[in-house]
Amino acid sequence: MSARHLVPAAVLTAGLLLTSCGSEQPDVTIGLITKQEANPYWVTMREVAEQTAAEENVELLTATGTSDVDVDSQVEALREMTAQGADGILIAPTDSTALVPAIEEAREAGVTVIAVDTPTEPESAVDAVFATDNHEAGELVGAYARAKAEELGLEPRIAILDLAPGISSGEQRRAGFLEGFGIEEDDPRISGSLDTEGDRELGETAMRDLLAQDPGINVVYAVNEPAALGAVAALEEVGRDQDDVLLVTVDGGCEAIKDAVRPGAIDATAQQFPENMAREGVTALAEHARGGAAPSGFLNTGVVLITGNPAPGIESRDVAFGVRNCWGD
Amino acid sequence: MGLPWDSSQPTPSSGGPLVSATPTTESQESAAPRRPRLVERELLVPFIVVVACFAAWGVAANLTDVLVGVFRTIFDMSNLQSSVVQSAYYGAYFLLALPAAFINSRFGFKAGMLTGLGLAAVGGILFLPASQMLVYEAFLVALFVLAAGLSILETSANPLILAMGSEATATRRLNLAQAFNPVGANIGVLLGAMLILPGLTSEAAKTIMSAEELRASQEADLFLVLRPYLCIAAVLIILWLLLAFRKMPELPGEQAVLAESATPGAASGGVAGRLWRNRRYRYGVIAQFFNVAAQTCVWTFTIIYALDVVGVSTSAAGWYLQASLILFLLARFAMVYLLGIFRPARLLLLMAAFGVICCLVAMFSLNMIGLIAVVAISASLSLMFPTIYGLALEGLGEDAKFGAAGLVMAILGGAILPLVQGAVMDAVGDTAFGFVVPAVCLAVVAAYAVFELRDRPHRPAVPETAGEAAS
Repeated sequence: MSARHLVPAAVLTAGLLLTSCGSEQPDVTIGLITKQEANPYWVTMREVAEQTAAEENVELLTATGTSDVDVDSQVEALREMTAQGADGILIAPTDSTALVPAIEEAREAGVTVIAVDTPTEPESAVDAVFATDNHEAGELVGAYARAKAEELGLEPRIAILDLAPGISSGEQRRAGFLEGFGIEEDDPRISGSLDTEGDRELGETAMRDLLAQDPGINVVYAVNEPAALGAVAALEEVGRDQDDVLLVTVDGGCEAIKDAVRPGAIDATAQQFPENMAREGVTALAEHARGGAAPSGFLNTGVVLITGNPAPGIESRDVAFGVRNCWGD
Repeated sequence: MGLPWDSSQPTPSSGGPLVSATPTTESQESAAPRRPRLVERELLVPFIVVVACFAAWGVAANLTDVLVGVFRTIFDMSNLQSSVVQSAYYGAYFLLALPAAFINSRFGFKAGMLTGLGLAAVGGILFLPASQMLVYEAFLVALFVLAAGLSILETSANPLILAMGSEATATRRLNLAQAFNPVGANIGVLLGAMLILPGLTSEAAKTIMSAEELRASQEADLFLVLRPYLCIAAVLIILWLLLAFRKMPELPGEQAVLAESATPGAASGGVAGRLWRNRRYRYGVIAQFFNVAAQTCVWTFTIIYALDVVGVSTSAAGWYLQASLILFLLARFAMVYLLGIFRPARLLLLMAAFGVICCLVAMFSLNMIGLIAVVAISASLSLMFPTIYGLALEGLGEDAKFGAAGLVMAILGGAILPLVQGAVMDAVGDTAFGFVVPAVCLAVVAAYAVFELRDRPHRPAVPETAGEAAS
């Protein structure tokens, strides 16, 4: 080949190579509907979904509500995504029952729907649920609290900071905690139990009230980290030494792990992984849209006990693991 | 910059030609009818090949700093276990320094270069079976072989550069070659930050994987490690071929440099005892040991600090090590200026104290400020090796040639202290607290500087050796 022909040939080859390197148009559209963006948990879920969608060459539609109870925004988003031709939708329902009709509408239009983080009631309203096993999360911290109490020689006097009546994730965590600790609902070692709605201020108020009833409380279970951080504030207020009280909770956010688990104010937390819900959800929907198996049943997206102070016989990871895998700043 | 020492300083094999060559040649230069060339024309290709070697070992050395955190994730190991990577690497450098000198003196620098390049390439290729075996120890063997080769390569390349032309231009030639080492070091970290760290399977994803999926993810992650090392091996093989099949013209300065190199070994018996009885030299070696240790510890655990303490994402963590290396490089230039103002021992004391403060900030400020402090430690480290080197050898006369070997072999600190830091981190369960180890190391350096200031209170600024080295 002469030099005269070499240059056009090289340009053509380079062009072909560039074309082959370029990404193809996405052939699959997936929607993600979260509860709100004020909580970094949902931000992490969206970011990982976007990253996975890019890797899977999938078009991702995203929408979010204004709060944890914003049903209307989610209903609207479901309808819009269905109209835009989404092959599948991941939704974290703000209300397990109120969203069921809109979800069924989408499924009737041929959209595969996976509930992430929070199951629907009934669970069969969606094709699959990808979420933390909340019972397991509660059980992990319950078993830890029991082992630690025994190690420290404590006579347990337990305070329970619950979510709210009728919310399945809170009920499952509570049941898991009791089972892990090895006690029943009516056990006399339970000093008291109050609802916090998973809110920091309500958690602080509830803890203050429980301490007023029984100043000798030495084991605290909080349904989530905001409630636990409220409990920490109430315990500090009455001058309780963090070494005298075992405080366990569930979540795995960066704020609680860095500011409370690391210094020992929270003894242990069961870390859940929103990134697994997003990644596994997007992958499953993309595979199904391309002819793979339909997602079904329940996928446990993992839960790991994080503590800086391990208990004998209880499997856990250190705080560094928690920091590496937490969400938020 | 790839390794903790500034290798523009004489290595064990190269003895002390740099220091003695420069002053005599400048007077000759002014009287000479023709300005001597930096490199003779017929030696240009071998010169470029040798310069490329300077970059190559910079790449390999600093890619190793990235590997500690990478292996910890892939094999789910403790900090102590993963820091054995540095022991394998720096241990090989230490163990091979003297055999390398022997190869050079017995067979010449070209043979030394070829042996080093060949062995290092074999080390790079050994990553291939290691990544298929999925066994950590196999990677340690590969790293040890790679570092052994690079140790021989480095020990041969420094004096070879000196011998590749007129004695009058030896220092300039070596400085030019050395300039490519930090370039390689930065490329090494860049390779890790771009090709390995962002692609690693997340720990969260592993929590829900089956045994088969975990194995598949381990294979995929180790493939990421394999790629840059195979690239390094390929480059080393090309360099080997370029050197092996090119007839090397007679080197103008080889015999002189070899003769200089041979001197320390021949005189070693009495000189070693004499040197060890010299308090200044002995403390200098100890300070150098702890300086190299501090540097290796800090660079080994920078990424791990970013991940464990601050929660920086895996894909972003490598950039903080990159920032450390760039700061180290920039600070070196600043130190050259400051050495003209301050006495070297005083500046050493200031920078060591600054390093200790940075370590303390890193230990107790568990956030981005702590991470910035970790990066800032590199500024304090930048002047230490050449300054300690210059101070410890000052006034030793002929014994300086052998004394230089002892100072370079203080690299052993880089093989041992990262293990101590890893063990402290594991024992206390606190990554940040591990920075007490480099803090203590830098405090020892500060103590040495105080000793120097008291022992020689009227010493002027800018010792010749330190000034040259820092440049």
